Amino acid sequence: MLIAAAALAAVVVALVLWLRRTRRTVAALEERLAAAGRGLESLQQAFARFAPAEVVEDIIAQGRSTRPEKKEVTVLFADLKGFTSLAEHLDPDVLVRILNGYFERMSRAITDHRGHVAKFIGDGILALFGALEANPWQTNDAAHAALAMRAALADYNAALGGEGLPALAMGVGIHRGTVVAGVIGSSELVEYGVIGSAVNLASRVQELTRAHAVDILVTAAVRDALDPRFALRALPSLEVKGLPAAVATFAVDGFEGPALAASR
Amino acid sequence: MGLAAATADLEWGECIVPAVPVPPALRAEVRKAVGAVPGWLARLAPSPWLVRALCEIIKHPFAHAPREVCELVALVVSQENSCRYCYGVQRAVFKIFGYRDAYLDALERDAQVSELTPAARAALDFARRLTRANPRPSGADFEALVRAGFSRPAAAEIVFAAAAYAVTNRVGTLLVLPPEPLVSFVASPVFRFVRPLLAWRMRPRPRAPEPAPRPDDGPCAAVVAALDGSPAAGVLRRAIDGAWASGVLPRRTKTLMLAVIARALGCAHGEREARRFLAAEGLAPGQLDEILANLGSPQLDAREARLVPFARETVRYQPAAIQRRMRELAHGLTAEEIVEAVGVAALANAVCRMSVVIDAC
Repeated sequence: MLIAAAALAAVVVALVLWLRRTRRTVAALEERLAAAGRGLESLQQAFARFAPAEVVEDIIAQGRSTRPEKKEVTVLFADLKGFTSLAEHLDPDVLVRILNGYFERMSRAITDHRGHVAKFIGDGILALFGALEANPWQTNDAAHAALAMRAALADYNAALGGEGLPALAMGVGIHRGTVVAGVIGSSELVEYGVIGSAVNLASRVQELTRAHAVDILVTAAVRDALDPRFALRALPSLEVKGLPAAVATFAVDGFEGPALAASR
Repeated sequence: MGLAAATADLEWGECIVPAVPVPPALRAEVRKAVGAVPGWLARLAPSPWLVRALCEIIKHPFAHAPREVCELVALVVSQENSCRYCYGVQRAVFKIFGYRDAYLDALERDAQVSELTPAARAALDFARRLTRANPRPSGADFEALVRAGFSRPAAAEIVFAAAAYAVTNRVGTLLVLPPEPLVSFVASPVFRFVRPLLAWRMRPRPRAPEPAPRPDDGPCAAVVAALDGSPAAGVLRRAIDGAWASGVLPRRTKTLMLAVIARALGCAHGEREARRFLAAEGLAPGQLDEILANLGSPQLDAREARLVPFARETVRYQPAAIQRRMRELAHGLTAEEIVEAVGVAALANAVCRMSVVIDAC
């Protein structure tokens, strides 16, 4: 009887010990799951700046996105004029600092007006309006962003001048049109991007800022959708590479109304 | 705590509007309605219609949708909108009702892996998409909710729940309402002893089905009618009528805000309603087209010129940015006007999201 009771007690003790250990294991697993969840949440929030939330969710759930779609977007291309030759005369550390300061200010001007910086290409910037979320005011937003970029560059040049560094000059081209938007790339490198002639035209229009000696140019498609309070100046049509007909462009001189508050 | 930590740790500055003395009758009305005098009353008292609308939403005007699903919708919508105020309150309420933190954390991390029925998962997924409205869900999405296992009246109530929390979240975030004492109370040692009593006092009582108010020729009557059979129909009607009747901002200004929000959300019904009422106010269609195309026009008075572009920003926002914007907007407006403008924007956002129920008809 005594032996049976002792055996039973031993079994109970063993069970209690096992139960405690199991609880500790479960608690540790729950903590790891929570940590993984935190990581996933942070990742999801971070990626929402680069692609629409639904696309990010697709990628997390299935490892790929199946949502390429045609979209009407406004494309803004910005490039620094003469920066390549400037780069040859500057110390690499100074060069990178100048460029990073420029990108920082321009990106803020773009995101403040509901734009999305799609990529940096050398010293160029490709920004999209209306790509990540439906935006009926995408063209006005893009033009306001360009004016904000102009003002930000003037401030930056004043700061650079104070350090004895050369001023930067920028050209911005804006065009509105239909693109195919989606996750594009190889298994090693993918990005949310857009493709289509609208993107190429915005880039070509940006190049025309040199020929016209202005800093912000828009196409007729943009002019048609733009708030009439933007002061536009028609410029002579010029031929661009890859297009059969000359392209009419308009310089943006300013906005004759209360400045829209930065929204983001 | 995935977003729990993120939402709870959001920067939250000073409230945009001051606390004001609350008329005793309004205080008594709120106490009777929700069983306590919430901290927000002193901030929102200048806009009694908004106070009454919030009280009615808090009381869960649902007769068809499962109570638990509607409560979870409130939580995920507050999480989606990153409303620290509502999220804190909602978590506290869940703790009062006996939910475990681990369960809520799992739910926030991913509704697909937590202990939910497929129908409840579908409801939460729909609520998230309605909140983001990028794009706004369609009638087909509503039908999918019905196919997931909800009756049509229950599905309509789920839409209402998700949209109604668009109101509370916007009021909480845009006005930067201070945290309720309840949020810190649930972390105190005393809480566990009084929890059952609190739960009994706070648990919403079951509601019986109610016909939609008739006759109804007020603004957005079709959305109200689509909630027929639910107490939510009357709640929505009274909220819209209250906002409409309030004289703090002119009707034209409020309707312009609705038109802008409808345009931003691609809500044809909302824009049509706004056009109808603005025409009655004497605004020609061409003038409205110009305002909607550019969010500005010489036709607007000085206050409208500020509130029209602001309305657009209330559709999708980051809390810190919209609160910064609110502080800019607050200069030159009275506290009454600020509360009213936020209330109108919040309600318009809700109605334009809710109109998915008529898209499905």
